[in-house]
Amino acid sequence: MNANSARTALSNATTAHAISGATATGRLHYANLRARSLLTAKMRLLWVVVGFVFFTLTAFVRIGQLGLESQTPDHGAAADALVPPRAEITDRNGVPLARAFPAYSLWFNPKALGAKGLPLVKTPEEVARALVQIFPGEDYDDLLDKLKTGKPTYLRRRVLPEEANKVFALGEPALEFPRETQRFYPQGSLAAHVLGYVDADGHGKLGMEEYLNARLIDPAHRAEPVALSIDARAQGAMEDELSHEMLETHAKGAAGIVLDVDTGEIIALASLPSFDPNRSDLADNDHVKNRATNEVYELGSTFKPFTVASAIDAGVITDMAVRYPATPLKIDGFTIHDSHAFGASLNVPEALIHSSNIVTAQVADKLGGQKLRDTMIALGMNQRAAIELPAKGFPIWPKGEWPRLRTMTVGFGHGIAVTPLHLAQGYAALVNGGIWRPATLFKVDPAHAPAGRRVFQASTSARMRQLLRLIVVDGTGKSANAGGYRVGGKTGSAEKAGSNGSGYKNKHSLIATFAAAFPMDRPRFVVIAMLDEPQATQSTSGQRTAAWNTAPVVGRVVPRIGPLLGVVPDGRRDVDVSDLTPLVANGDGE
Amino acid sequence: MIVTTRRLRSMGWIATLVVCAALVMVLAFRVNALRSQVHQSSARIIALKQETMYLETEFETRANQQQLKAWNDVEFGYAAPTAAQYLDNERQLASYAKPIEPGAPAPVRVASADDSATVYPAMVSPMTGKPIADDGDHVAPASNDGDAPQPAVKTRLAVGSLGLAGLGDRLSTVRHAGHDKTAARTPAHTPGKAKDAKARMAKALASHGAQARDHSGAKAHLASAAEFHAHGVDAHRRAAPGKVSAAPLIRLALKDAKAVK
Repeated sequence: MNANSARTALSNATTAHAISGATATGRLHYANLRARSLLTAKMRLLWVVVGFVFFTLTAFVRIGQLGLESQTPDHGAAADALVPPRAEITDRNGVPLARAFPAYSLWFNPKALGAKGLPLVKTPEEVARALVQIFPGEDYDDLLDKLKTGKPTYLRRRVLPEEANKVFALGEPALEFPRETQRFYPQGSLAAHVLGYVDADGHGKLGMEEYLNARLIDPAHRAEPVALSIDARAQGAMEDELSHEMLETHAKGAAGIVLDVDTGEIIALASLPSFDPNRSDLADNDHVKNRATNEVYELGSTFKPFTVASAIDAGVITDMAVRYPATPLKIDGFTIHDSHAFGASLNVPEALIHSSNIVTAQVADKLGGQKLRDTMIALGMNQRAAIELPAKGFPIWPKGEWPRLRTMTVGFGHGIAVTPLHLAQGYAALVNGGIWRPATLFKVDPAHAPAGRRVFQASTSARMRQLLRLIVVDGTGKSANAGGYRVGGKTGSAEKAGSNGSGYKNKHSLIATFAAAFPMDRPRFVVIAMLDEPQATQSTSGQRTAAWNTAPVVGRVVPRIGPLLGVVPDGRRDVDVSDLTPLVANGDGE
Repeated sequence: MIVTTRRLRSMGWIATLVVCAALVMVLAFRVNALRSQVHQSSARIIALKQETMYLETEFETRANQQQLKAWNDVEFGYAAPTAAQYLDNERQLASYAKPIEPGAPAPVRVASADDSATVYPAMVSPMTGKPIADDGDHVAPASNDGDAPQPAVKTRLAVGSLGLAGLGDRLSTVRHAGHDKTAARTPAHTPGKAKDAKARMAKALASHGAQARDHSGAKAHLASAAEFHAHGVDAHRRAAPGKVSAAPLIRLALKDAKAVK
């Protein structure tokens, strides 16, 4: 029993020992297991947290990205698609004058029917004949040559959709119509000299296309159109009336300018004959000459008001009633004549009304060469006209000290040759209170008009407004007197000098100019009309001087453009010329 | 059990993750769908803007200054307006009124009724030959308003010829081509139907809500032909934009208008 119990005890003890040993290792194991499990759990938790954080972050980043970026790329794409390769040019009211337009062109692709065999289904002669029927302006032989050579080439740069349909109906696969973005001028030849054109390589030529070339193709500014100071309606009216008169008088050319006297903005600038900038391949001809800004002319009697204003300003003319002898004036072997005799003597208003060279020469002589020269320099007559156009003519400017005869001839507009634009700027200074401002083709905010420089005193300008109005009311400019518009101005009919300084031999080639401003009680616009070699025709009553051709042009243009430019005609308002009227005897002259 | 719970929990987490991932994907898909829609729209906008530009350019080209001038020369012959065609202000307009010449009749004084009666003879109805009472004053402004000049004149004539009952009948129903026959078949001046017509007219007036102030009875309105006439015209005119129920013609017109829209 004892032994048994002892064995049992021993075995128990062993068991106990064994059990205690097993318990210790088991605990350790469990502890390890717990630690490992905890670690695993923590790791899993960490992964889950990382996963959550990742998804949350992704979601937020995505939302943020969408919120920040969703607007810009779409806008950019839309803007890119609509941005023209060359910026638009508009007039002052936003009427498009030049824009990029995907037009059809006619391309000859001889490989369209395969590399071998004939390029055309019909004979080249038949195709060329059919093309000439569709495009009457094309040359048959030229087309035939192009079709026969078998080289890919443009047959025509611009094709209208209906013309393209007709060509398509010929059934020639070799005639293709690629749509290419080209420069398009919706107004046709309107303001062609102001705009210029774009050549086949995309370079702006002539006019604002050349001046603004860098700006127009600059990617940063292409989307914004460039607004010019031109008003398409005024430009249309001016070109219409000028071309009408040019045809009536068989003149070689014509020029017209409408200039804002307070800001220097050019509202219309016409040079005829014109060209179609849409046909840039034909633009390289004689018609691209800009008569308004590039060609210089002796503008004759239109210079007389400058001389008189300069004399009034200098105190040489103090009394309008003073009379000057009007008999032919002999000086340095030359004789200064008038167009016809106006009696023994004339005062200054009469001299302007009848356009007397003799009296103006005396006034210029009294004024002195230096002072007249200073006035002309102040009016910018000794340098190229201030304008953006590349075509700016340099005046024929008598250098050095002016001798007595030169002073006298410049006094009535000979011996000095300027562009019509010079004249317009000078007249603006003459009537706007005496401030000369550079002309510009860009829109000017009236509040920020250039300061300019004072040339005449304000009182002189007021006197000149009276005198210019008097010329239209009583003198040579009567046919420019558009009712209610208070037009004032001066005619000028200058004989053209011979090409090599041979003097004024041809009495029949004149430059007829009318320089006007309206309304004279508070001038807003200067209007210049010039005809190059107008002929005496039935429509001008057999006359070729400015009173019969260019003055009527101004008389017709002013009522057409006045209301559009904000000048309302008023028949009951006029410049007060009552102090000058008694000094003027009635009579006609040029 | 613990394992199951843990596993369940982790599975729950995974499920939540999967759901979140799915939601993010859904969001992404939706965003992309919307974005492609926006792309499509902007492409359409671009196409339309280009189309507008083409059409505008075509219009500008076809209506350029030279073309307009050519049309004017051939077709219209418009000339620039002269100074006499401009007016500065109302004062200048008033100055065009003709001054009174010696021997001219005295100017009409609106406030004085007796004078006007002597100067102008009373207007005579072309149907009855009897002079019309001073309701002319009411008629003129109503018919000059421009909204319904024809009905005003017609009803006015009807006052004289058919009498009040007939007028009531006319005013209570708005006729058009299809209704003319029935109107012609029921001569309104039969005495038996007059009362009926009065009642209908009153109803029409009430439904139009015109001048409901002293609406004690239809008779009050019928007492004066002029007043009645004016109200009748007004009632129809006012009903036109708002109330459709009473007038079949107006309903028809509105229907047409909708169909056009």
